[in-house]
Amino acid sequence: MTAAIVIQSLASGLLMGLLYGLIAVGLALIFGLMDVTNFAHGEFLMFAMYVTFFCFSFFAIDPLLASPIVAAALFVFGAVVYLGIVRFAMRARTNVGMVQIFATFGLAIVMRGLAQLLFTPDYRSIPHTWLGGKTVSMFGIYLPAPQLAGGAVSILAFAVLYVLIKKTDFGKALEATREDAGAVALVGIDKNKVFALGWGLGSALVGLAGAIMASFFYIYPDVGASFALIAYVTVALGGFGSVFGAFAGGIVVGLVEAMTAMVLPPSLKSVGIYAVYLLVVFFRPRGLFGSI
Amino acid sequence: MSFSINRRNLLVGSAATLAFGAGAVRTASAQTKEVVIGALYPMSGASAQMGVDAQKAFETALAFINEKSDADLPLAGAGGLPNLGGAKVRIVYADHQGDPQKGRAEAERLITQEKVAAIVGTYQSAVAATVSQSCERYGVPFFSADNSSPSLTRRGLKFFFRAAAHDEMFSAAMFDFLDAQKKKGEKIETVALFHEDTIFGTDSANAQLKLAKERGYTVAADIKYRANSPSLTAEVQQLKAANADVLMPSSYTTDGILLLKTMNELGYKPKALLAQAAGFSEQSLYDAVGPLAEGSITRGSFSLDLAAKRPSVGKVNDAFKKLSGKDLNDNTSREFMALLLLADAINRAKSTDGEAIRAALVATDLPGEKTIMPWSKVKFDETGQNPYADPVLLQRIGNKFVTVFPAQAAIAEAVWPMNKS
Repeated sequence: MTAAIVIQSLASGLLMGLLYGLIAVGLALIFGLMDVTNFAHGEFLMFAMYVTFFCFSFFAIDPLLASPIVAAALFVFGAVVYLGIVRFAMRARTNVGMVQIFATFGLAIVMRGLAQLLFTPDYRSIPHTWLGGKTVSMFGIYLPAPQLAGGAVSILAFAVLYVLIKKTDFGKALEATREDAGAVALVGIDKNKVFALGWGLGSALVGLAGAIMASFFYIYPDVGASFALIAYVTVALGGFGSVFGAFAGGIVVGLVEAMTAMVLPPSLKSVGIYAVYLLVVFFRPRGLFGSI
Repeated sequence: MSFSINRRNLLVGSAATLAFGAGAVRTASAQTKEVVIGALYPMSGASAQMGVDAQKAFETALAFINEKSDADLPLAGAGGLPNLGGAKVRIVYADHQGDPQKGRAEAERLITQEKVAAIVGTYQSAVAATVSQSCERYGVPFFSADNSSPSLTRRGLKFFFRAAAHDEMFSAAMFDFLDAQKKKGEKIETVALFHEDTIFGTDSANAQLKLAKERGYTVAADIKYRANSPSLTAEVQQLKAANADVLMPSSYTTDGILLLKTMNELGYKPKALLAQAAGFSEQSLYDAVGPLAEGSITRGSFSLDLAAKRPSVGKVNDAFKKLSGKDLNDNTSREFMALLLLADAINRAKSTDGEAIRAALVATDLPGEKTIMPWSKVKFDETGQNPYADPVLLQRIGNKFVTVFPAQAAIAEAVWPMNKS
């Protein structure tokens, strides 16, 4: 094994990890805000990829340009899902946790079924994009342009998110609602509005990830499943509810995956991720950056 | 023992009568009006498109079975099954989602609830393994249309039949081709295997490993990856480092697309790519990767070039295209043929009884001209495998398949190496 292969693996792992973080952060945000796990998260990603695909095939908008459009569409979608489904699921008097799980899980199945019905189960892909197929290579290390852009967008998104949460009134309202949803009503913050915005924001972030991914990954109704699994591990690793834990968790997952594939047969590369996850559960059950 | 008419006895009795009556009526109608065959395919999940395409292939086959036509195929002239009073064939579809356990459950439902005469399926070999076991237990024939794992016919099952080639036969053809290229003066010493981790990929790689050893090729890399991986970067890096003369992937569509895209991103251009069909037979793969697949070769059971020699190929393809908007491919052609062969056997069995159909399948002896495949004939050996299913190799040239091997079916020389640059 040469140094070039090791560096290549780590670089690829880092880029993939940044993307994993971007996919997972919406999940962490929503969970942190209201203790609801969105089991349709993978389907949100799938939906975002289809929106990107249709932007391209109907209006010839490149995925990179389409990413704000997709994020906006997903923002609306996420808010509607909260107002139309999750809000009612949270009103359950008994077994609230179960009702929430079934509500979002049911939504996942409906979305997958609808996608198959409306878009057919065929594998789609955006053939010509600005970035697709381009690579930056130096000293024998290849960095694919779409993943590089994905990494940059991910870092940018996390930076904006940091400012939004730490420096703005909206962020304070978010934090306050998370602390005590009942008490914020007393100071005039509409809980439903904050939750809806939180869902919108979380979905917009996964929308961004979907738009970037659509430029190099295939698209079909089940595409979210394998990424959703990694997103759950990422969130649990980084710490439930911690937005920056998702960022760090994503990078850890990406790097561990790449390093495992160097020493173990590639079919076992997920073993490394789950081993690290297990260690975290044993020694720091709340996750690396968890606050709960 | 006294027997009084109380509510409970009455209920039990009437339920039994009803059940018996329903059963009797169903058998009677099945014998005179229609024959029901179960089709088990992935209709949802990662391979749902395969199920959708298979459904179109079966509908095309039903048209040739149930309606009169002049194609040179078994049953084509009759319009129904003549030995069963002109009974029409009906298909009940079931969805196994690519999951062996769901496949088993659905197979049992088809047999016990839908009373199917036989089952055809299943695309994924892993699912065929469980489904065929259920069929064996109930004495219902399982006709494998498109499963290519060699181990499937080596389990001593009596009710398992496969008319198409398995991966050892396919792999043998691939190595025959490599030998032929070598004779022409190409330098081919090393191969790299790249296969997914279910029974299809594993069996395929085992067959290829064995053949490579026998024929004196060095296996530079043998990479097993997890099906539907989010990323294949690490895997492709190892392939690139090995830099074998021939890359031999055994991948379904999703992983095939990701493989070609990742190879391009990492600047890996193999001298030749020789695929074990599956994803590499699918139009959606070629649509997704465009020019990246140019020059890649895949084994196949079917070639549209055959239309010149077997006119029924064109007729069937036209009918299929009208339904699906696609040309027949490796999978849909085998699915079409499987249903036709099965219906033909049921007709010759003159019954929907499992044992009788099995006997008729064993007695099958159909010349290749009466199929749409490049096979020399259809005749099952004692394991239920048709050893006369000759495969072809197809190269992607100008975004179309061109038959390049074997010589008797080829219409062009293979472009070698695939990347001239």
